[in-house]
Amino acid sequence: MGLYPKFDPPAHMKDLDRVPGLADQWSKAVSHWFDATLKAEASRFQKSKVDPYIQYFNPVKEHPDGPLIEQAITWNAFPKELLRQFGRERAMAEADRLWPLSWYRKYPPSGFAVAPAGVLDQTFYRPHDEYCEWRVFRDEATGKIKKVVFVSEPPEFYRALWGGWVEGFHFDADPAQVLALYREYVSPEVQLKDLVASETINVGGVLATKGAYNPYNKWNTTHGIMHLCAPPNTLAAEIQLGGDASIVYVDDHNRLLVEPDVLVCSTGYGGPDRSSDPTIGGTVNALARLGARTTLTNPVGLYMDHIDLAGWSVPDAGSVTELVKVVRGSLDSIERLEVEVPAGRGFTLSEVTIGGEPIRFGGQIAECITVKLVATAIIPPDRRKPTPVRWTRHSYIDPAFPIQLQRSIPFGKPTPPGSVQALIDQGLGAGVGTEKHMEERAFEAEPAFEAGEAAFEAVEPEFTLTRRI
Amino acid sequence: MARSVHDNPFVAPVEPVLELEDIQGAAVPGFLKPFQTLIGVRCLTGKETNFRKFVRGMSPNVSDARVTLKDRRDNREARKERTAKEPITLIGLAFSFRGLYKLTPGASSFGSEAFRIGMLGRSELLGDPTDPSDEGHPSNWKVGQPGQELDALVLVAGDTRECVERGCQLVLKELDAASMQVSWREDGAVRHDTIGGVSFKGHEHFGFNDGVSQPGIRGLASKDDPADFITDRHLSPDDVPAYWLNGYPGQTLVWPGEFLLGHPASSVDPMLPGRITPADPPWVRNGSFLVFRRLRQDVRLFWHFMHSEAARLAHEEGFHGLTAEKFASMLVGRWPSGAPFNRTSTYDIPGLGKDQMANNYFRFDSDTLPLEGVKDPYPMAKADPAGTTCPLAAHIRKVNTRDSGSDTGSQDSTYKRRLFRAGIPFGKPLDDPFAPEGNDPEKGERGLLFLSIQASIEDQFEFLCARWANDPSRPKMPGGHDFIIGQNGAPDGQGTRRCVIFGSNLKESHISTTRRWVIPTGGGYFFLPSKSALTGVLGS
Repeated sequence: MGLYPKFDPPAHMKDLDRVPGLADQWSKAVSHWFDATLKAEASRFQKSKVDPYIQYFNPVKEHPDGPLIEQAITWNAFPKELLRQFGRERAMAEADRLWPLSWYRKYPPSGFAVAPAGVLDQTFYRPHDEYCEWRVFRDEATGKIKKVVFVSEPPEFYRALWGGWVEGFHFDADPAQVLALYREYVSPEVQLKDLVASETINVGGVLATKGAYNPYNKWNTTHGIMHLCAPPNTLAAEIQLGGDASIVYVDDHNRLLVEPDVLVCSTGYGGPDRSSDPTIGGTVNALARLGARTTLTNPVGLYMDHIDLAGWSVPDAGSVTELVKVVRGSLDSIERLEVEVPAGRGFTLSEVTIGGEPIRFGGQIAECITVKLVATAIIPPDRRKPTPVRWTRHSYIDPAFPIQLQRSIPFGKPTPPGSVQALIDQGLGAGVGTEKHMEERAFEAEPAFEAGEAAFEAVEPEFTLTRRI
Repeated sequence: MARSVHDNPFVAPVEPVLELEDIQGAAVPGFLKPFQTLIGVRCLTGKETNFRKFVRGMSPNVSDARVTLKDRRDNREARKERTAKEPITLIGLAFSFRGLYKLTPGASSFGSEAFRIGMLGRSELLGDPTDPSDEGHPSNWKVGQPGQELDALVLVAGDTRECVERGCQLVLKELDAASMQVSWREDGAVRHDTIGGVSFKGHEHFGFNDGVSQPGIRGLASKDDPADFITDRHLSPDDVPAYWLNGYPGQTLVWPGEFLLGHPASSVDPMLPGRITPADPPWVRNGSFLVFRRLRQDVRLFWHFMHSEAARLAHEEGFHGLTAEKFASMLVGRWPSGAPFNRTSTYDIPGLGKDQMANNYFRFDSDTLPLEGVKDPYPMAKADPAGTTCPLAAHIRKVNTRDSGSDTGSQDSTYKRRLFRAGIPFGKPLDDPFAPEGNDPEKGERGLLFLSIQASIEDQFEFLCARWANDPSRPKMPGGHDFIIGQNGAPDGQGTRRCVIFGSNLKESHISTTRRWVIPTGGGYFFLPSKSALTGVLGS
């Protein structure tokens, strides 16, 4: 008997009920994704030759004894990677436009590719990697902002409703139901053929298969917005991140890694320059270090928690809250949020100010939005010591551009010329404990590995889910 | 075994030498004097030449960082030697955007939108009341209210009230010489009172030791001595990287660009300098933004709430025996002495509260471990990632996340949000601040002349107020609003503040109130220019 009888759809939305039995399939799929994660974590332990004690659990199959804490983990919707890369002013402009998928994690120094234009050059995504994406609708004549739509729904939900294989689980569903949602929320002009992938889209992981549902279809990119489409913004990645972060990690001297930055850099479970990944991982890992069993709270999903309207001013002295509509999801688990001036009030969003600054970009509104997932921790009365796994990776910094942590690389692989290793010795509680004390406190760890690629290969698990890339 | 600076294979942070003769002492290292007076100046239209004359006259009297740092060190030495030190007067001079613009059109290229708009225009963003009948509405402010925005703010600080008065006379003389007048003036003084044998020296009016957690600015005072740090280092050089990362234990060292324009700010690694904080126009280099906020504190209301809520909670499972003092300490995150709540959650330890080698040394997300060679006999903090001991809504967790991640990601964001606080209480303290009822000859007119130094009003002061203190979900959940300085400025929030606290056995209780005991009653956004900018640009 599990903690929950089943997994509900995100925000308890009813769309899956359009297809008989699909809600049950959804529950089985999420359970399958948890199991895939648990398998991956088990392989990490096994290949490390240590007794596996997996603190992460599938909550429809297991219900550990003990007091339970639900902890919402929150972060800001505006992409921190863009802020770090460009500074606020340019980041605002960059965030409001679509990027070709060929730019994903390879931002080019100049313009679009011209020829030959591959599928990735012609397929677009929103560069919003904090599990919240938005689209700005402007008046074509004046350029003023008419509406901004924010979404936090994962692509898996729509792929499930369409039918076919999704992260190793096969759904029997109905594409017509996806079409109906698009027509309801995006445009009545949407045709079924518009939603089908004409090519397989692969950015190092397959994002869409030829002939199947295409999350990058024009109504979810160039012509509208329905759900999350940035490559890292998937539900499977959230589940996997929760599992990776539930393992306790140590360095080569068996000292615990505790800092959020160092954890994300030493394990590679996400992007170190994001707001979301370091704080999700750091929060879950802190609970794991206490010996807690950890999981994600039902319904597993990604949500906007709220929009902060303090400091918003409208030119007609009318209601500000009237500008904001929760269109999908619920009040504190928002999946689709539309910000628009109601007809008849005689102004646009461009005349609305936040702290005295007129709204020029959708990103200014994103700065007011808090995104969240909810984790559950259970402290077993007979909690055992976590079994630590040795770190496998490290991050580095370009001293000439020291405001970004470069993606971590396995130990033994050379860092780029001129770069320096990041956060040396600081993940162990920077300035808060001597090595001696750390050693006294450290859990007994597995035997040290040989340095180099072999060590990395020995502990890197075989993932079956799409990870947070 | 611990690494030492002598045998460590890694390179120590290379800290810049700061131009102390050019930087105002009010910015670095900050005045922090027991007496202070703030003088507000307004320049009427057509009187710009007089204003410039006033600036020119004041410029030589403005205290630089060299003088201020020497005074700080002399004071410390005198305390150590138990000798008397000659009292000193320190003066700072700051300008609002409108004030700077009257002195030079070059002010128009200031990049800070918040500075240009000013505190009045940002008041709603800060969560201030929007009802004109509310005391905290800007139309009711006592300083900086609409139509009365200040152009300049003079800070006069000193070891004695007489010192400060001498400084004020000097300011009045310069104003008089320029045919200008004082628009507003208010005196502040660090508390020195004793109640029932307990000293409240340095405590704010609610009764809590204030300013315990200040960031330490990185930087050297001279180029000839690599150990002449502006912020003293108190850890053993044999314990690195701790020695390289802290002043006092737990006092994080922050790159100077977080406080001064034109200097390296934080990077993603606290050991490495980041980008240079832009100095545009160029004469703003070595300058800082100064936020002034007059906050009235309703001490009776604060303790009335603490007494009544503690009494209510004491009947709930998990909270039996809860006292008003303990409840208030949970919401502050420290006991009145300054002792961190997560180092001692049952009772106050005054010795811990005043011990600078211990009172700032604690982590939130993992166990805190003893430091090599540091005498710290008090209980160490245990990991408290979910706020089950020290609530996530506690003031000290709302404005400084320390080792925790936050809604802005990793720990580096914490470094980028710190500000240097240099405020001082105004009004006479109550005879017994902890009593919920009683006579008050001052009729509640007491509070804090809040002053903070930062390189970005938006990313530091406003971020901490609007995004963290006032937001129920940030920086971490299950949290709530900051019950000390937070406001609920949401249009549909009706000013209600809520938070979550935990009792024994993880029993959870939700607290809420519509009352406010910290009320904004004035203020403004200012800029503290360098000495060279004062003489070469603004007063020329």
